[in-house]
Amino acid sequence: MPSLKLPIVQAHGDERAQWRSLEERRRGIAAEGEFPPGAAEVGTTSRREFVQLLGATVAFAGTAGCFKIPGEQILPYTRQPEEIVPGRPLHYATSMTLGGRATGLLVTAHEGRPTKVEGNPEHPSSLGATGLFEQASILQLYDPNRAAVLQQNGRPRSWREFLAVQHDRALALRRKDGGAGLRFLLEPGTSPLVADLRARIRTLFPNARFRSYSAVSNDGVARGAQLAFGTVLDTQFDLSKARVIACLEADPLHPWPGSIPAMRAWADKREPGPEMNRLYAVECALSVTGMNSDHRLRIRPSQLAPIALALAAKVGSGQGLLAPLTPVAAKVRLDEKQQRFVDVLAADLRAAGRAGVVIAGPRTSPLVQALAHAINTALASEAARHRKSALHDPDDGAAGLRELATEIRSGTVDTLVVTAVNPVHTAPYDLNLATAFDAVPNSIYRGLYEDETSKRCAWFVPATHPLEEWGDARAHDGTVTFVQPLLQPLLNGITEAQILSAFLGEGDKSPYAMLREYWRSARNDADAAWEKWISDGFIAGTATAPESPQVRMEAVAAAALAARFEVPAGALELNVVPDYRLYDGRFANDVWLQETPDPVTKLTWGNAALMSPATARQLGVDTRDVIDIGLHGPPVHAPVLVIPGHADGAVTVSLGYGRGGAEQNAGGIGFDVAPLRRVDAPWGGSGLTVTKLGRRQPLAITQEHWSMEARDPALDMDLHDFEGRGRERIEDARAPVATMHTPWDYSKVQYKWGMAIDLSRCTGCSACMVACQSENNIPVVGKGNVEKSREMHWLRLDRYFSGSEDDPRAIAQPMLCVHCETAPCEYVCPVNATVHSDEGLNEMVYNRCIGTRYCSNNCPYKVRRFNYFNYTYDVTDLEKLRMNPDVTVRSRGVMEKCTYCVQRIERARIDSRVQERPIAEKEVQTACQQACPSRAIVFGNLHDKQHEVTKKHADERHYYVLNDLGTRPRTAYLARVRNPNPKLT
Amino acid sequence: MAISVAARLAARRALEPLPLLEGDQDDGTLNKTLLGYVWRRPGKGWLLLVGLGLTGTALLTVAVVITVAKGIGMWGNNIPVAWAFGIINFVWWIGIGHAGTLISAILLLFQQKWRTSINRFAEAMTLFAVLQAALFPVLHTGRPWFAIYWLFPYPSTNRIWPQFKSPLMWDVFAVSTYFITSLLFWYLGLIPDLAALRDSSSKRWMRRVYGIMSFGWRGSARHWHHYKIAYLLLAGLATPLVLSVHTIVSYDFAVSIVPGWHETIFPPYFVAGAVFSGFAMVMTLMVPARRFLRLKHVVTPRHLEAMCKIMLTTSLIVGYGYLMEHFISWYSGNAADFYQYANRRGILHGPFKSAAQDPYIPIFWLMVFCNVVVPSIFWTKWGRTNVYVMWFASILINVGMWCERFVIVVISLHRDYLPSSWTIYKPTWVDLSLLFGTICFFSTLFLLFLKFLPAVAVQEVKELRHELDTEHERHELPEFSQEAIHPMELEVGEEDEQEEKLR
Amino acid sequence: MKRLVLAEFASPEPMVEAARKLRESGRQGLDAYSPYPVHGIDEALKLPRSKVPLMALVAGLTGAAGGYVLQWWTNAVDYLINVANRPAHAWPTNIPVTFESGVLLCALSLFFGTLFYFFRLPRPYHPVFESEEFRSASLDKFWVSAELKEGEDGQDLVRTLRDLGARRVTQVAEET
Repeated sequence: MPSLKLPIVQAHGDERAQWRSLEERRRGIAAEGEFPPGAAEVGTTSRREFVQLLGATVAFAGTAGCFKIPGEQILPYTRQPEEIVPGRPLHYATSMTLGGRATGLLVTAHEGRPTKVEGNPEHPSSLGATGLFEQASILQLYDPNRAAVLQQNGRPRSWREFLAVQHDRALALRRKDGGAGLRFLLEPGTSPLVADLRARIRTLFPNARFRSYSAVSNDGVARGAQLAFGTVLDTQFDLSKARVIACLEADPLHPWPGSIPAMRAWADKREPGPEMNRLYAVECALSVTGMNSDHRLRIRPSQLAPIALALAAKVGSGQGLLAPLTPVAAKVRLDEKQQRFVDVLAADLRAAGRAGVVIAGPRTSPLVQALAHAINTALASEAARHRKSALHDPDDGAAGLRELATEIRSGTVDTLVVTAVNPVHTAPYDLNLATAFDAVPNSIYRGLYEDETSKRCAWFVPATHPLEEWGDARAHDGTVTFVQPLLQPLLNGITEAQILSAFLGEGDKSPYAMLREYWRSARNDADAAWEKWISDGFIAGTATAPESPQVRMEAVAAAALAARFEVPAGALELNVVPDYRLYDGRFANDVWLQETPDPVTKLTWGNAALMSPATARQLGVDTRDVIDIGLHGPPVHAPVLVIPGHADGAVTVSLGYGRGGAEQNAGGIGFDVAPLRRVDAPWGGSGLTVTKLGRRQPLAITQEHWSMEARDPALDMDLHDFEGRGRERIEDARAPVATMHTPWDYSKVQYKWGMAIDLSRCTGCSACMVACQSENNIPVVGKGNVEKSREMHWLRLDRYFSGSEDDPRAIAQPMLCVHCETAPCEYVCPVNATVHSDEGLNEMVYNRCIGTRYCSNNCPYKVRRFNYFNYTYDVTDLEKLRMNPDVTVRSRGVMEKCTYCVQRIERARIDSRVQERPIAEKEVQTACQQACPSRAIVFGNLHDKQHEVTKKHADERHYYVLNDLGTRPRTAYLARVRNPNPKLT
Repeated sequence: MAISVAARLAARRALEPLPLLEGDQDDGTLNKTLLGYVWRRPGKGWLLLVGLGLTGTALLTVAVVITVAKGIGMWGNNIPVAWAFGIINFVWWIGIGHAGTLISAILLLFQQKWRTSINRFAEAMTLFAVLQAALFPVLHTGRPWFAIYWLFPYPSTNRIWPQFKSPLMWDVFAVSTYFITSLLFWYLGLIPDLAALRDSSSKRWMRRVYGIMSFGWRGSARHWHHYKIAYLLLAGLATPLVLSVHTIVSYDFAVSIVPGWHETIFPPYFVAGAVFSGFAMVMTLMVPARRFLRLKHVVTPRHLEAMCKIMLTTSLIVGYGYLMEHFISWYSGNAADFYQYANRRGILHGPFKSAAQDPYIPIFWLMVFCNVVVPSIFWTKWGRTNVYVMWFASILINVGMWCERFVIVVISLHRDYLPSSWTIYKPTWVDLSLLFGTICFFSTLFLLFLKFLPAVAVQEVKELRHELDTEHERHELPEFSQEAIHPMELEVGEEDEQEEKLR
Repeated sequence: MKRLVLAEFASPEPMVEAARKLRESGRQGLDAYSPYPVHGIDEALKLPRSKVPLMALVAGLTGAAGGYVLQWWTNAVDYLINVANRPAHAWPTNIPVTFESGVLLCALSLFFGTLFYFFRLPRPYHPVFESEEFRSASLDKFWVSAELKEGEDGQDLVRTLRDLGARRVTQVAEET
């Protein structure tokens, strides 16, 4: 076995991997006790001030530092790095991992600084698109609140000191009892490199123990598979094969990690016609998927299992695989509405056969998961793909934490290494993890921020941002994906692999060296293929092979029989969900996400207790009332937000708020739901107590009005309607309006830019909003200004409800400047600050604008945004690095709006002119179009019949919003057509 | 004594309509009464009021500085309500201004003799009101430091010109022309009186000051010869001007496509509203002024009654405007338009109750009350002759007209086309201090004017007096004894008694 | 050096009368002063028709024309650009500014033209101001002034004026 080498004895050549500041870098290796300015004040100043000081200092070091491309050779996606042309951005393939699933990215770098994240078109999990989290990660990279200094109990330490201390301690542990006192609590991961390190650590420390934990856990899925198949499998859904889709508390139409392909496949089959798929949703809170469903059944969480059982029984109808369920299902009582829904859905699934699929969300109980597997197997569904889970520890739920906590309390844990994101904040309250961590003699926490967990750990190690580190991971389908840094760690970040390697005595190895060595050992073609792998960002053809396992029906039936469904009547239920914007709270300091409205509630800067209008009436509360909610534990204060379509008798809250870390933007926003979660009921339960406090609290909601008030900006009709009267509605909405003016002649110019947005494809996930914000340097205005409705988003997602207040039909509509040819904003501007370009863009001339705001008043779409303050005044130098140099940063008192990403058009124009050819279709993609997971947005030249946008502008579903005003927009919308089941309508 | 005056007044009233001048005046007494107070020491009340005014003006300064330093964000404006107090106050003040020009110009053209006693007063009010109004168009822009000159067509370095299809450009020209013209009109009328002040002044420096201000006017017949024509022409010019200005202000709204703004009825309806509020403001100022400046003999109940009649008329026009708006919003069958007015009246909503409540309905109904209900009191002789009634009514009308602008600007914007962007507007303390501050600034200017300049066009009153006398001779009206009693020498209290008796 | 004889009357009518008599007697350099325009004095002094309206007309037309040309040239010629697909030169939208600029120039000419050109003001000093009594001319008295020829002592003129009912007659001489 390899002997432990003292890391410090022989310094590897790679000192530049860790340096704290430029000065130190120039001086070479740091002398002992040399810290960035501010460190000296420990003790005299508060910890918070201290951290801020450090943040600032190191930020400045970082500004200089980041212009260095990493020492090792990193390979650009398209061209060689040594020939960096100033002003020419380069694109590097890398990836970002969330919940263990890697999404391939292409990151744009200007002169060595990453400015924009896009999807990697060839990567199976991305297909060129990205979700909110990937888009917003760039802001996190330059977050001045990021932790910068490795500390022991608040005292700055160097990486080498850390290694020395840990090495001695680990040595002792190993000698004592094979590392029985060594525990690892990792972020759920799929990295082959980490897997290898874990294996090697186990050989050194046979009694050490690894666990993974994430608040948004996968354990339900794992246990469901265990129950159904007797082995832990991971299931993905290829919706291109599905015609009838039933979602049980599942949300595949929001870009959660790994669900982009599902969104794309679903959208591809929304063209009106026989091939159109049909989506059923059974859920408590209205979700993005629910908004897009053709039929939706709102139920309290406790009713899900009975419905799943009834559905399974109905689908089986006494024969075949599902037969054993029929007797069990007899004990299920469903109300008339639910029964009808289940019957129709079952019939539809049976009819669909192999093209039918049932998706059970990760938060559902193992039984529901197992039943879904059973149904899919019975249908021989082609959409469900079972693979061996790539996660190191598939069971990454709170149960593992409980074991850990008991171990700690029994005093067996000496050294605890935590790389899981902020477990102290996200863990259920009944674990009391904070005190448990306090009891650990030698606890080590690696994190991006000094958060709740770092306060409880002896050692704090600043983490690298994905764009700063070398590493690998697996995509949702198991494809090996690489993480490639675009710059040196700005703030001395340490990778997870480095921490683990410390226990192998290799802590001084650079992450690159580790990765390279591992793959050299793992695959013999590594040397030959390395450059291709890295520049592609992944190894093609490494997806895990699908399996077709057998369902152990008797076990499932037994579980169903054992399950107790009855809930005390009238008991209020709690439903906990991961947040659409903050996930589990790790993005709480990312102001882009904080200010992105929730796709459903349109709430920014906080969470709320969501409930249906009926429940609100019953409890005598209304939106903005503050209530106390408690579930067998301490109550939390929460503002009410009444939202149509929520199940009655239940309250929904989301994770990730009420943060108490060192993150300035996250503090004091929303409320922490941990007190409402328990290990055995992490996603809620029944018996919720609600007391009205009589206080009211402002909520930063960006859309207060729900109804379309007969203006019908977003046309939404059923298939049969579309074939009938609906078509007339659409035609009315695009019929030319009489005008006195002779239309401007655009036939002379080569390009006539236009956009088309297909409402049938758009799920409302809001990824485009963040993409637009990132591309166009759109400022964040903060909670107070959003409450005053001064948000600056050029692209917003309008959400309308129609039909009944209890069970409404919801539709999302991306609304951005539609570039009217007869723009009402233009003729009212007294100073010619907004005018038309010869290609028909409605242009905004910032430096001519005097800010009369008349254009905004006269814009019927209200897509113009005004800089009421100087929002970019106090941007730190670190944050400035994020700015897109191709887009002007607007100052105070100036109007701004969507430009159709004119900077991208111009770049393409330059290239095409140099090469003396016309601009190709794929060359100009607007930021929103590029990010959109479901390809709802297309942009191009309306003069070119081949361009998709031209075809969409000729589509029978196309219309113009507020057409009767005669504004002649360049953006056409395609009416949403739904495919409801005639039997249910 | 008082009785004898009363008796004489009664006798005269029996014979002719309410007099334009009370008591028998000659030029000397007129000088004494109309110019005299300029030489008196300022009274305590005056000093107190000016003090208050200056305090409010200081607040205005603070609000302005903060707005310029921090940005429009200090106001309550948002998207969609991008215009609010700034524009409301602008339209309100400029509307008030109009009565002044109207009184002096139109009435001059129509040879309305009763005009002379109040025109100076009204013109001054115009000037100061327009001064307040002029503050807002520049201040409400996002970058006033550019707006202040980019709005004018000058050959700038980036070779870009203003865009003359924008009503805001029309505004720039209209408002500046209006201000300059009314300033010149006012000053031209003032020159002979300044000369009179110069010649009646006792101190040498005063004589200097007024001498300079009067350009050395000496009342030469050769000058009067041109003067009369020039003054008449300016009046003739001011009349269409005043109509054009508020028409153009109404274009700011009518030319847009916002439901509630896009209306052909706006120009006449705005002009009527302007005259309405303007006369109300004249009334608000005149009633106390004639009492405390002792002008009751020149500003007689007949003037006040005439003004009441005009307010009544204009209020009818405005009321008709409201009626039409709401009728057309229904008749046109345009969803957005209908919703707009239903929303104002407070008849809501779609299938969903919007998460936002609507706090603006009371403002609409307050407007209706103040502008349509209150003025109808002027149908009664009592309402038209009781100074207290007309004074309170005039104040209410000012409030009502402010509400009208609020209804038009804010309520139209806060719910226009796409419900997704609908929101509620709330003014901040800066907004409020801007409104309050301009009112104080206005009053300060007015008080200074009342102290240092003749509030009544003395030379015109003299001319009028002369004309009246000659008329008396022609109509053989009873000649009055020349005993020089006149109301100024009586106690104010007694005066009121007389007025009571006379009714 | 210019010498004037000033005569004060209590009311307008005798002043007009006096003025007429003097003019008919062929006296040059006549003028009358009153606190307000006096009826009939114009024809008594045979003043020519005023040119003020002509000036105003010319100024007004110039202003209007200038305003229109300005808009046309700036928006349709010098900086031609597609604004909301509206015609670059749209005469209806030019009406307001045309009108306003016409009024503006007209008003300016009326004020400054009359004051500076027709009145020859500002003129802080004028021989008539030599006499203190003349202050009443702007208040409540009516004056007639007649210029004395070279070497004329003016006694007979004073006498005539007294006969015409002047309350008070004085002689003033322009300061040199």
